[in-house]
Amino acid sequence: MTFQWDAIWSALPVLLEGAKLTLWISILGLLGGVVIGLVAGFARAYGGFLSNRLALVFIELIRGTPIMVQVMFIYFALPLMVPVRIDPFGAAVVTIMINSGAYIAEITRGAVLSINRGFREAGLALGLSGRDTLRYVVAPLAFRRMIPALGNQWIVSIKDTSLFIVIGVAELTRQGQEVIAGNFRAMEIWTAVAVIYLIITLALSYSLRRIEGRLKIL
Amino acid sequence: MIEFKGVSKHFGSTQVLHDINLKIGSGEVVVIIGPSGSGKSTLLRCINKLEVISGGQLYVDGFEVNDPKVEERLIRQEAGMVFQQFHLFPQMTALENVAFGPIRVRGAKKADAEQLARELLAKVGLAERAGHYPSELSGGQQQRVAIARALAVKPKLMLFDEPTSALDPELRHEVLGVMKDLAEEGMTMVIVTHEVDFARKVASRLIFIDKGRIAEDGDPAVLISKPPSPRLREFLQHVS
Repeated sequence: MTFQWDAIWSALPVLLEGAKLTLWISILGLLGGVVIGLVAGFARAYGGFLSNRLALVFIELIRGTPIMVQVMFIYFALPLMVPVRIDPFGAAVVTIMINSGAYIAEITRGAVLSINRGFREAGLALGLSGRDTLRYVVAPLAFRRMIPALGNQWIVSIKDTSLFIVIGVAELTRQGQEVIAGNFRAMEIWTAVAVIYLIITLALSYSLRRIEGRLKIL
Repeated sequence: MIEFKGVSKHFGSTQVLHDINLKIGSGEVVVIIGPSGSGKSTLLRCINKLEVISGGQLYVDGFEVNDPKVEERLIRQEAGMVFQQFHLFPQMTALENVAFGPIRVRGAKKADAEQLARELLAKVGLAERAGHYPSELSGGQQQRVAIARALAVKPKLMLFDEPTSALDPELRHEVLGVMKDLAEEGMTMVIVTHEVDFARKVASRLIFIDKGRIAEDGDPAVLISKPPSPRLREFLQHVS
């Protein structure tokens, strides 16, 4: 079987549409995931009894179930239980938010706890409130330690969006499958799909390396 | 300025401080010595509530430290602390470290805070190091920046927790020199240290803590030259 470049060129506009959607799901989902992760991670590290337990239950629940089950639960089961209508795109974004949020919470907790207790005490001893000490002393140090693990999680989450094929959201993998259903050029199209994912993830790795170079771990 | 009334402190089931009664007035320079694990650092850390006392009463600058209505940060703003391991903020330059307190705690403007920080760095002999990060400074320099950082909040008293224990002998004198200047300016100071010589020359009062109790409390020159108890005599032989 010969590799037909034409099949790729003619499918490219459709695939790029899919790639655009993949990027949107990833960007919105990961922004939300970082917010959820920071809140849950700080709650685990420094929260009171209740917030600590709530965060722990959330993390265990999400880490302990497959993302594919999560997205199907949100898209198919949730509307049966509560009166919400959720479109496939929304379900995909929410799934990435809570799923990456649970992992980012653990990344946050690990980084925060690895900061020498003495820096926190130094902030407190100056007369800063506990909250300001976290904000101005601990968080800037912890963030630097989070970057490598955060990059890892971002790449995992971007690739996880391909699983949303099961709820019919027209992201990159789904678009690839639809093209193949019409032209049967599996070799060309899956190659093109893989390369597009690789371009996205390599661009992310590269920018993370640049950021890491500027924010040394202290 | 500081008053302990029957203060005790437990860590779990271990009692580290027993019935501490101690009054420290304004302008006093009190050196606390004692063996490792005797509770001297804990006693110091109770003053700015880095440790919470288990029993008794403790007053600092008119605040009752264990009164839940008293915000601990108000006490801490009046009691600057210097740590054994310096704990300078590593992501900030020396100048930023010193200006941090005035900006974040006292609400000073950045320009005013930096002006004050420059003056304090000059005072500890580090004016030309203002732009350096802690990792680019020697231990002695870091500790002097840490003293400037604590002074920048304009505290009424200063607490020193073994400020020279992490330093090479030849770097100690530069830190002790800064502390001596501070004592001569009339700053109220409580210093946990093993520097007996410093205690004799600079302190107005020496306290010897043993097994969580105040064992001796008096004039440094007298206590050091004629230790009244065998325990203190033995301890002094070991540290000097």
